[in-house]
Amino acid sequence: MATIRVWDPFVRAFHWSLALSFAVAWLSGEGPERLHELAGYAAGALVIARVAWGFVGTGYARFSQFVRSPAAVVGYLKSVAAGSERRFVGHNPAGGAMIVALLTSLAATAATGWMLTTDAFWGSILLQRAHSVLAHGVLLLALAHLCGVALASLRHRENLVRAMVIGDKRAPEPGDVA
Amino acid sequence: MMKCLCALAALSLAAGPALAEGKCTSAPKSKWQPRSALESQLQADGFSIRQIKVEGGCYEVYATDKAGKRANMAFNAETLEKLDNAEAGEN
Repeated sequence: MATIRVWDPFVRAFHWSLALSFAVAWLSGEGPERLHELAGYAAGALVIARVAWGFVGTGYARFSQFVRSPAAVVGYLKSVAAGSERRFVGHNPAGGAMIVALLTSLAATAATGWMLTTDAFWGSILLQRAHSVLAHGVLLLALAHLCGVALASLRHRENLVRAMVIGDKRAPEPGDVA
Repeated sequence: MMKCLCALAALSLAAGPALAEGKCTSAPKSKWQPRSALESQLQADGFSIRQIKVEGGCYEVYATDKAGKRANMAFNAETLEKLDNAEAGEN
């Protein structure tokens, strides 16, 4: 089976590091505080690095390759519902929207978390709530992301989790979107 | 090596509870000191209070001390005794 390199080493290392950072930050939300802060800073730094890579990185890592209009995302989701969606070698339109949503909500979660350690917002009930709501939002998005990965893997008979580890995917076939 | 690790684990388990000083109360809320009592106590100690919230049987406090340094503390809600570790209240 012909394969092509899709996810570069940066994208893969970033993906799993971010998943780990968020998991650690989530589990340490009630302490230990030092660990929670460390995980939050790591997540924030990873998001910043990924955003930069989205502009200067390799082909499939670029935002211009996978961020589509809301109309295109809705159109793609309709085709999924109809069971007629095409296979994308890179991120499909819904996956692209998920990445934007995850990066944005993670950035906001990390930013509010950092703000809570500053004199200005120390002990702020409102900001603590915002931080908590954002973190729960990230968790929900991550779960939806897992469902999307599982669905796309089944529909196109490919292991997308493995692809994010190895970096290679099945080469595009007729009808696929390269 | 394994024997060593097991002994170490057993030792840390045994030492754990003895090292943790102070804990949150399990008494009903009717037995608790009012929040205002804790506020006066903290103000007398020179703290400016940002937030006091209930965490289990403890009051968790966000404040700044006389020098303006941020402080996160937990107090037994029945005795208003300060816990050694603010995170001990978050269980």
